Amino acid sequence: MSTLHIIIPYSAVFKKLDPRLMQCVLAHRKPRWLPVAKSKIYRIPKRPVVPEDERRELMRLNNNYNTYMRAIKQFYRDEMVKEQTTSNSATSEMSLKLDAEEWARCEELNGKWNAQVSLEREERRKIQLAEMEEYALARMEAKDKQLREKIEKASEEIRIQKELSATFITPEKLDQAIEHALANPVDYNFAIDLQGGRYEGRDSPPVLPKNKDEILQ
Amino acid sequence: MLPPASGTGQYFEKAAKSIRLIRQGCTNRPFYHISVTQRKRLNSQPVIEQLGSYDPMPNINNEKLVALNLERIKFWLGKGAQVSTPVAEILGLAGFFPIHPRSYMTAWRNRKTERENLAKQAEEAKTKENTD
Repeated sequence: MSTLHIIIPYSAVFKKLDPRLMQCVLAHRKPRWLPVAKSKIYRIPKRPVVPEDERRELMRLNNNYNTYMRAIKQFYRDEMVKEQTTSNSATSEMSLKLDAEEWARCEELNGKWNAQVSLEREERRKIQLAEMEEYALARMEAKDKQLREKIEKASEEIRIQKELSATFITPEKLDQAIEHALANPVDYNFAIDLQGGRYEGRDSPPVLPKNKDEILQ
Repeated sequence: MLPPASGTGQYFEKAAKSIRLIRQGCTNRPFYHISVTQRKRLNSQPVIEQLGSYDPMPNINNEKLVALNLERIKFWLGKGAQVSTPVAEILGLAGFFPIHPRSYMTAWRNRKTERENLAKQAEEAKTKENTD
């Protein structure tokens, strides 16, 4: 007969209410609406005993302290009011003049720095430009060289083809070529013997190798 | 995401402010931020601004380190912020406020217990001598 399962966990509710309270100090404490534990019902807390003279001394100290504190707090409050009023009136001539002077000084310094930086920048830009030029020239040269090589290669090819073109079979030469081919049949078939001798031809009569005698021996 | 422990800087102008210790350490290792927050806020809620820190555990040189941003404390006092007792004690020991009565009280109570302990020890020694 446990009643624990009825109780809604206090911390869970709290967490749902506000995500900023995820790490709540009260999360581990007993909710206010739970009754006093059975073992603590008849426990009477012991009252602290403060001796009369100590009590009086504390009273005196506290009174003094409170007086001091009142004065201190008043002082800081007055200080703040004063500061606010002076800062409001500080938009007058004096502060404006001071601000202007400060501004001029800053501007001068800034101008000096800017001049220095611009000099450095010019130098750096010159160097960068030279580098870029060099790089571009090198690239252009490389490209030119590549192109020249290509042209050379092509012209060579053209020359070779022109030379070869004398032997090409043109429509005019076709009949002659056919006749020539029919007149001179070429048989590319051949056989080989164990010694590596080559016997040309298959249908045509075999042409014995010139060095046949040597091979046979 | 949790709000920054150093403060959000957001507050209501007319709400009462409080300068207090906010516990930031972990289990068995207390560490406190001295922060200004709205008086009705819980210590787990975002603070307005952090004004210092307090490490209550003595270091190797037996010092309890405190850091205070006195300028901002002055500012918030000027705004009428209430100071909690532990912070008032720290500020008293720092010389910014008068010494807090509670500091005096703890001191004399500590002195008293020490005196009693010493007397007890002396008595014990005496009885030991007499028996020997």
